[in-house]
Amino acid sequence: MKTGVSVFIAAFVALGASWCGFVLAPVLQLGGAKQTVVLQSTDNWPLQRIGEATLGLQVYRAYGCAACHSEQVRQTGAAFEVTLTSLGVQKPSDFVDFTKSLFVLPELADYTNAIATSLNGWKGGLPKTLLTCTDKDIATEMADRLKAVGVKSETGIIATGADIARGWGSRLSVAADYLYDQPVQLGSLRAGPDLANIGVRAPDANWQLQHLYAPKSVTPTSTMPSFKFLFEVRKIGATPSPDALNLPKEFAAADGYEIVPKPEAKQLAAYLLSLKANVPLYEAPFTPAAK
Amino acid sequence: MSDECPACSVPSAGEPSATRSAAPMWIIVVTLVLLFLGGIYFDRHSGWFDAKVYAPYNSTENLGAYQPQSGAAAELARGKKTYEAVCGICHGPDGLGKPGQAPPLAGSEWVVAKGVNRLAHIPLAGLAGPIQVAGKEWSLNMAAMGAALPDDSLAAVLTYIRSSWGNLAPPVTGDDIKKIRAAVGAGGQPATSEVLLKLPE
Amino acid sequence: MNPTENKTSCDRELNDSLRVPLLALFGGAAVWLVVGLVLGLIAGIKFHAPEFLGGCPLMTYGRVAPAANDAILYGFCIPAALGVMLWILARLSRQPLALPLVPVVAANLWHLGVFIGTAGILLGASTGHTWLEYPRAASVILFAAFLLIAVSAAATFGWRSEKSLYPSHWFLFAALLWFPWIYSTANLLLNSNQVPRGVVQPIIGWWFANNLVFVWLALVGVGIAFYFLPKIAGRPLASSGYALFGFLTLTFFGTWCGIPQGAPVPAWLPTLSSVAAALTLVPLLAILIVTAKTVCGARVSCMGGSFCYIKFGMMSFIVSGILYVSAACPQYSRILDYTWFGAAQTQLQLLGFAAMILFGAIYELLPSVMGKPLPLPKFAKAHFFLTMIGVLLFVVPLVIAGVVQGEKLADPSIAFADANSAALKFLRVSTTGQLLVLLGAILFAANIFIMTIQWKLGIAKTVIAYLKSPLETLEVKP
Repeated sequence: MKTGVSVFIAAFVALGASWCGFVLAPVLQLGGAKQTVVLQSTDNWPLQRIGEATLGLQVYRAYGCAACHSEQVRQTGAAFEVTLTSLGVQKPSDFVDFTKSLFVLPELADYTNAIATSLNGWKGGLPKTLLTCTDKDIATEMADRLKAVGVKSETGIIATGADIARGWGSRLSVAADYLYDQPVQLGSLRAGPDLANIGVRAPDANWQLQHLYAPKSVTPTSTMPSFKFLFEVRKIGATPSPDALNLPKEFAAADGYEIVPKPEAKQLAAYLLSLKANVPLYEAPFTPAAK
Repeated sequence: MSDECPACSVPSAGEPSATRSAAPMWIIVVTLVLLFLGGIYFDRHSGWFDAKVYAPYNSTENLGAYQPQSGAAAELARGKKTYEAVCGICHGPDGLGKPGQAPPLAGSEWVVAKGVNRLAHIPLAGLAGPIQVAGKEWSLNMAAMGAALPDDSLAAVLTYIRSSWGNLAPPVTGDDIKKIRAAVGAGGQPATSEVLLKLPE
Repeated sequence: MNPTENKTSCDRELNDSLRVPLLALFGGAAVWLVVGLVLGLIAGIKFHAPEFLGGCPLMTYGRVAPAANDAILYGFCIPAALGVMLWILARLSRQPLALPLVPVVAANLWHLGVFIGTAGILLGASTGHTWLEYPRAASVILFAAFLLIAVSAAATFGWRSEKSLYPSHWFLFAALLWFPWIYSTANLLLNSNQVPRGVVQPIIGWWFANNLVFVWLALVGVGIAFYFLPKIAGRPLASSGYALFGFLTLTFFGTWCGIPQGAPVPAWLPTLSSVAAALTLVPLLAILIVTAKTVCGARVSCMGGSFCYIKFGMMSFIVSGILYVSAACPQYSRILDYTWFGAAQTQLQLLGFAAMILFGAIYELLPSVMGKPLPLPKFAKAHFFLTMIGVLLFVVPLVIAGVVQGEKLADPSIAFADANSAALKFLRVSTTGQLLVLLGAILFAANIFIMTIQWKLGIAKTVIAYLKSPLETLEVKP
């Protein structure tokens, strides 16, 4: 490059291109996003946080919780799952023989081992997952053949992946989940478990507060520091406060004292309880478990 | 001002210089190869800028396959797939048939008849000998192409042909097929036109 | 002697013009380096003793860790890089620094901005966006300060008497454009009153973080290395063709990396980043070839001198780049995302690459600017070995911890606590590495401070001598 101008132009074009691609285009494509609809339902998604939960997001941001926790579930694949729900008049052993008879079909050749293993030692407990495959036609055919012999089955979609298997969520996180977050706290390190669905896993406000005050009291192997400064230790007045924490002996306050959460702690707990992302969407379909 | 600097210290050690050389060819080739491979990867995994396609889904079609479908649409989609795999080879993807191969299904009175008994006999038992279809006579042989299909699958195929290409007839259920299959029995003779016409509708 | 020597500026004017700006930039940078490394050490200790400083909300991990990273990047790397850049531009232009007062004001503004930013994070006013945690007031000050320095740098470049461009010019000049653009975009969109909704925020955040921590530091670091390596080795830079190719591919491809593979964004974004990461191997290769050809066969025995610093820095750059690219492969990112691997790569880029190159450059240029040798040259050599061993002890176990943690997390039958504790074993070694790097930084700061004090004492002596000297009398001849 011979002149300063040419260097400037090269750098300008290079950065301008990525600015267009990663700043302008996402703003245009996703910046005006609105609520979307839950799959096979008329419910809107996401729902606005109300009250303390909104303030709780600011507490989460101010204490940098995103330094250790992520708020994002990843999914590595999706599959169709054929689940047996009723045996009808068949006995479990007869049914197992029937499934063995299906193994001659060429379409099921790849799945015979999995089906045989899953039925090994099965005594008839329901519901029982028979087949997990990524081909819709094979799943449908299996369902048809089951119907033909009088057993009831359901075909559903499941999300697969390590995060899903750990119970951290039922589907991947998508843009719609963060629509009302300001700032979005995705996190970048999992020194602590993922929190995208913590409101589903631990829906009890008292558990959340107790965990914030003394993480080791609920999870003995935790490396999370305690957030005692979000709580107040004060003398029990005429009657104990309804907010007072109920802690095991090693962590409880001295006699005559109670541990009461400050407003920040309550807001943070409300925010954590609002973290749920377990509805199916068009971009992240799955069959929710029957209630 | 620089001229009036007689007490200057020893001039600076030379500033570095660079050997002039052109950019080598091989690295440009490597870049182009990587660009090409990158393009293929992008085509396979990006969903082509669709806002709804998230990894692990690869494309809008891939995402669409995993959507739960309502009953009627699912039936037709399934029936179409099976039809194209089993029947369409002879009867044509458009149901128009081919002389010397198979009679048409589009506009066929056998297909759109209100009752499904006679129609279902054909794939379940096979058909031999002459048959009148839409004013023309066809004298061919058809094997029992539907005997190996499960009830629901065959029902979906028949529902599909009864509601495609201008045909408008009520759908067929798996139970219907089950009953008719029982009536047909196994390993019997292919049906003929006279036998079919004697059956109730 | 070159007859054109008369036409070009001589050293004394050049050094005079640079002295105050560089001391202002480097002095503050040294302070922030020590502060940042102390905060980082506190953050590291908290993983072994979670209740360390537990009662103090200012020292909670979620505040200390980002404050540490920002102090090292914004407090040390950027002002030190700007200082070295000003020196290189002045020398390549054969002119003294243009508008020398402007960088002095800018340096003080910059350090004020970093102070407000760090205090803001520790007091809970962090914005919540990675690498952009400084509150709005600090960001505005930093942006203004950078622009001021860029003006001075551009003027120095524009008024140059040596018209031809040297490869370092490309890298450093591009860096002058890069930072204001990405910083203003990111702050205007994320730190203002009208923030885009939802997941657009982290997308812009990732774009900014990649362009600052990977591309900008690469531009500055490589530009500085391409100046000093040939100069110290006494041979020309190996190939301008490879260097140009490396520059163009770094700017065109490197800028598109950054979106993690599993991000909750439409698939086209991480796919583009993946493709860009694969293409970023090309500039890494080109820069490696230029460096290797320039260094190999050079008869320089450095023994802890500047040449060692810059060689180590360039090797760290290549390794850090390879780590960065491999984390963008979909198969690996499944394991490596959200683990210590990303943190390790960032620290290698900051401390192993950028900081080392800046140390080497500063130790090389400061004696000539100040007109006297380093006050404690043994400290400079010890600094090298402390930092080299410290960085290796810090980063290598962290990389392994990330891989171990990632593999355990990818296996749903392994409890989360086990994955965590498996990683923590390696963190003990990492924290020791952090301590060594901190000790090295204190040695560095000692040199800078003593030089500053000596210079100030020198000025004070001159002033006092001037005041004490008898007035000149004019003889009026009748």
